[in-house]
Amino acid sequence: MLAIDLMSASIIYGASFAILLIGYLAAISSKDVIRLLISLELMFGAVFLSLIPLFSALAYPAFGVAIITIFTSSGELLVLIAAIVTLDRQKKDIHTSAITIGGDRV
Amino acid sequence: MVMEMVLLSALAGVAVLFALGVLISKDNFYSSLFMSAALIFIAVVYAIFNLQPVFVLIVFIFVGAIGIVTVALAATYRSDPERQFSWVWAVPVVITALVIGFSIYSYNMLNSQSVSSSTIDFELINFISNSEYLVLILSLVSLVVLLLLSVLKMGVGGTEN
Repeated sequence: MLAIDLMSASIIYGASFAILLIGYLAAISSKDVIRLLISLELMFGAVFLSLIPLFSALAYPAFGVAIITIFTSSGELLVLIAAIVTLDRQKKDIHTSAITIGGDRV
Repeated sequence: MVMEMVLLSALAGVAVLFALGVLISKDNFYSSLFMSAALIFIAVVYAIFNLQPVFVLIVFIFVGAIGIVTVALAATYRSDPERQFSWVWAVPVVITALVIGFSIYSYNMLNSQSVSSSTIDFELINFISNSEYLVLILSLVSLVVLLLLSVLKMGVGGTEN
């Protein structure tokens, strides 16, 4: 079995940060809400990856954190999917430019 | 040890490449497929550290349920592909990536002797007692079922407005 040392932790954190930044860039660049959903899932994937080194220090709390993270993020994404369906029903459009209600006007 | 490190680097690299595919692809359908593949490779990294319960949770729940719903949604709302990449925002993201990369590299150079390698000792049976584990899983699964039912109700019954 592979042991967690500085090199493997660096590889994991490097990949995690890379995926997180790609997710951020995809979310910022997104023109429709489907792309936003995909980028959010990618960001949660980066979070899962960054949890691995925690298992070498605190294995059981890390497993608890992993379970809660997976179910919480799944629930959050389900809510976003429901919001996309509602948006389509009300606006007949899934582009982010169609969302004009809410937030501050500058 | 070297072989395992190469395997870890390859898996992490493939996950990052699939994530790049999400960003570069014009079609949301292919982006969602790339995203599912990236998440599966992230789960495989868990598997090579002998953390099979987390591998199962990610592959079955996150990719198997949420990922597939996303793929279905992307296939349903498939429209003319257009490039969704902002060069303006790419610049600060690249700068952030360089800063993070340099910080990881410098930490490795300065603290190469201070961290010793440790294996992950994890057994599911020692996590919590069986009854508590069952209650936890049942409550979390019922939460997801409730959320799915509310989505289903919205789809079948429609919304008020």
